[in-house]
Amino acid sequence: MAPLRRWGPVATLVVLAVLPWGLARHQLSLLTDLLIFSLFALSLDLIMGYTGMVSFGHAAYFGLGAYGSALLLIHFEVPIPIALLGGALVAGLVAWPVGYISTRATGIYFAMLTLAFAQLLYTLAYKWRALTGGSDGIAGVPKTALWWGGPSLVEPRAFYFLILVSFLVAFVLCRALVRSPFGRALQAIRENERKFATLGQDPRRLKVIVFVIAAALAGLAGALSAPFRGFASPEAMFWLLSGQALMMVIIGGIGTLVGPAIGAMVFVLVQEVLSSYTEHWMLFTGAIFVLMVIFLPGGIVGAARRRFAA
Amino acid sequence: MSLALVVDLILNAIAQSALLFLVAVGLSLVFGVLRVMNFAHGVFYMLGAYLGFTVVARSGSFWLSLVLAPVATGLLGGLLERTTLRYIYRRPPIYQLLLTFGLALVLEELVRVFWGPSALPVDPPAGLEGAVTILGAVYPRYRLFLVVLGMVTGVALWLFLQRTRAGLVIRAAAQNDEMAACLGTDVARVRTGVFAAACALAAVGGVAAAPMTTAYLGMGIGVIVDAFVVVVIGGLGSIVGSMAGSLIVGTAQTWGGFYFSEAAMAIMYLVMGLVLIFRPWGLFGEEE
Repeated sequence: MAPLRRWGPVATLVVLAVLPWGLARHQLSLLTDLLIFSLFALSLDLIMGYTGMVSFGHAAYFGLGAYGSALLLIHFEVPIPIALLGGALVAGLVAWPVGYISTRATGIYFAMLTLAFAQLLYTLAYKWRALTGGSDGIAGVPKTALWWGGPSLVEPRAFYFLILVSFLVAFVLCRALVRSPFGRALQAIRENERKFATLGQDPRRLKVIVFVIAAALAGLAGALSAPFRGFASPEAMFWLLSGQALMMVIIGGIGTLVGPAIGAMVFVLVQEVLSSYTEHWMLFTGAIFVLMVIFLPGGIVGAARRRFAA
Repeated sequence: MSLALVVDLILNAIAQSALLFLVAVGLSLVFGVLRVMNFAHGVFYMLGAYLGFTVVARSGSFWLSLVLAPVATGLLGGLLERTTLRYIYRRPPIYQLLLTFGLALVLEELVRVFWGPSALPVDPPAGLEGAVTILGAVYPRYRLFLVVLGMVTGVALWLFLQRTRAGLVIRAAAQNDEMAACLGTDVARVRTGVFAAACALAAVGGVAAAPMTTAYLGMGIGVIVDAFVVVVIGGLGSIVGSMAGSLIVGTAQTWGGFYFSEAAMAIMYLVMGLVLIFRPWGLFGEEE
């Protein structure tokens, strides 16, 4: 385990940096998609794995980020980083009142509340045609430059590196966060919220804060997806995506930082392979997921740790 | 606003509430006894509608479908509980929610495989087509039937749980399953039974809804989100709460739909938000 711990990250980084030159266009786009989902799943694990708040409406913030950045890029042609910040900001701002209300409840109730709010936002995106284009969504989102007059990001490899860097920044940020006193407090809440409260702390304030942070990171993932795919649509806010993010976290390993990324990778690749054989791939992903929940509660990372520890 | 319109809206609200109740009460019961939030519950509602369509198409009898489809759905539900959920009751509750999410994906896709992607229309049974005039309002007979169906089911369920021995055992298992097991109750069997019964109830709702809404893919997720709101408002594990929640949500949907059309959903969530601020465990739920 020790050499894997030391050299694993370095090797992964090298591979991720070199891969774009060895991949076909379609494969590179798959890899880019994968990184976006990794970031999205990572943001969910921050609240789900580290704080014990299972959100069933995380896609809403992914979608808000996508719409935010799509609107900024189309109407103002701002540089990409501004659009990313804008998208993350929109998601975080909307998440604040939602988090404030939802954290009144815990456990299953919290999950249901976040789902209900997400469906509300989804309906809003669907109905508010003037702003969001309704069911058609917003098409033709441009990949603008890195800064005003700066290098263009139209080239697939350039955009891939933008997303890779965004992911790494978010990853390092989350790592610092879960190791900080704030992160320790979150894990204390996860273990025993009542005890945490009796120590004179206010768990709800921290929960709202981490909910907003996670939503902003999900918004960042969404904000990256809009220019990458060239569109933002209500599908990005649908409950199915929220559920898929939960699946990625569980498959990879809940409460770990690399787990969600591994889960996203497995999920995207399995979907890619299955969908080339059958249009009913959801049937098999669902079944695989059910089996994993029963037999592999710690996900892939949990299983690997057990194996290496033994 | 004319009296006829008011009557029309009130009846619509009650019919809508009746359908919601059939789904929400099962969701609530399963949570009460199994402590599982069943994400697949809406899919059983959809399955009921599709099975109902097939039975009507083969036999021509709506009433037969109202019996056969729920029985088949209940059996499937019981089987799934035995083969999957049973093994993870000791885990944190979120694993059960996720497991049922996986089941929902599988079942939804299976419905697509067997019945295809297009919506399937079902005719209302003979004798319930057409409309009657009530206080000046011309009202579809079939919706009146939904009102009666919802009320009869609600009262029957309440009597069953409060007045029979089996109901007593179920309530005991819901209140303290370890104690109930010590006193000789086969809790595993109670769980399977309750899960199967809840699935069958959802299927009754699906069969009953199909003549109004057709049977279509995605009807499960629509209804499950509404049913979640109902049980959050009413309180999990309470039949009276499910009734009250259904009436509130059904009314908010129909009246909100009339006055604001687009904002109907928002009103439903507004009500839920208010309830949660003052009673986070729901109107009739018990504080945990």
